[in-house]
Amino acid sequence: MIKILVIFLLIPFCIYSQSKSINFHSPENKKKFADLLFCEGDYLRAVEEYESIRDVIKNDTIDIKIMYCYSEIGLFNESNNSLKRISSNSPFRWAGLHLRLKNKLIENPKGLRVFHDMPSPPDMSERRQKLILTSNLFDEEIIYEKEDFLYVFEKGEGQTISYFYDLKKNPPYKSPALAGFFSAVIPGSGKMYVGEWGDGITALLVTGLLAFLAYDNFKANHNTRAWIFTGLGSFFYAGNIYGSIASAQIFNARIDFEFRDGLNLFLQQKNYFMPEYDFCN
Amino acid sequence: MIKSNLKIFFLIILISTSAFCQLDNLKWEKAELSYEKPDNFRHRDYSFVFDDTGDFLKKTIAYTYWFFISDVDGDNCPFRPSCSAFLVQSIEKTNIAQGMLAFFDRFTRDMNLYKGHNQYPRFKSSHYYDPPQNYTLNQGTIKYLPSAQIVEE
Repeated sequence: MIKILVIFLLIPFCIYSQSKSINFHSPENKKKFADLLFCEGDYLRAVEEYESIRDVIKNDTIDIKIMYCYSEIGLFNESNNSLKRISSNSPFRWAGLHLRLKNKLIENPKGLRVFHDMPSPPDMSERRQKLILTSNLFDEEIIYEKEDFLYVFEKGEGQTISYFYDLKKNPPYKSPALAGFFSAVIPGSGKMYVGEWGDGITALLVTGLLAFLAYDNFKANHNTRAWIFTGLGSFFYAGNIYGSIASAQIFNARIDFEFRDGLNLFLQQKNYFMPEYDFCN
Repeated sequence: MIKSNLKIFFLIILISTSAFCQLDNLKWEKAELSYEKPDNFRHRDYSFVFDDTGDFLKKTIAYTYWFFISDVDGDNCPFRPSCSAFLVQSIEKTNIAQGMLAFFDRFTRDMNLYKGHNQYPRFKSSHYYDPPQNYTLNQGTIKYLPSAQIVEE
């Protein structure tokens, strides 16, 4: 019985054992594995595999994929350096140049306008225009008029860009000075102006209560207690003015953050206007 | 042959089991578990060594706050840094006057009757993250984090 059991266990091992005739590390197999990793979105491991066969298999598809992988994992210098390997005759040359623009946009959005007049095929020129114009939204000041801005975008994405343009031109900031002034007139109202209603009402009640206690104690000739409440009330009053100014500044920082975040999300969804290649089917 | 092999196999298992069995000098005992939260706030450093007048004032204010409010109230501040730490850090980042004003504003926000703290990001310990560098009145030092973000402690 035990013999039979052992034989049954051994037979499948012999049948399915790893044959030496298959070279799992051949460049072709590595490429297949790298392609699989690439399509799975595992760019870190995919680029490692591609790099190991890059000198063996000369292929511009591999080169553009390496460039793309490095860009996706945030190694922009390596990605830009990979462009040198893509020859000027390659159909991926313009895509590589566009990918370099995308890398520059992520690293430093302000430095993109120098590429504005670079010659390129009409389709790529439009994509580049979109990227360069969008990059301008990251600048401190927008230098283009809205009409000059929107002409290159299609209707759907044009609406989104128009929304971001308006938001950039007229951000819904709150004035720190006004918030401070409001709180100086009515304690807590500066906080309410910024949208922090709970904090505003609390500040109004605390300052009001301390002011009443100070007044009441002065009236009853309890001067020591009255001065303590006056001191405390003054600190809460001044602290609220200070806090209202700070809250307005934080509110404005939030507006800037949400603008940049939203614009980055839009660009990611549009894949930075990259030409679409179907490498995975 | 197989029988003798089986015997050897069982012997090995038995020997290893007895070798690592519970010994007299290492008896298993119930673990001393404590479910109390660590109360670091009780172990404060009240040493009164100061470098200059500003340091003297800062320590005086902070120790007074610890003694009369923090230690009595317990670890109930919903924010990190806690209100007393916020006071000390604010004074360090700005000056006594600004630090005090920022602290009174923080104290009001701590007392928020509606507990409306949803605009703050959170630590893993569920405290709200509210750093003093956002309250220096210098727009450049503000580091805005969205409320959905979990901040590493």
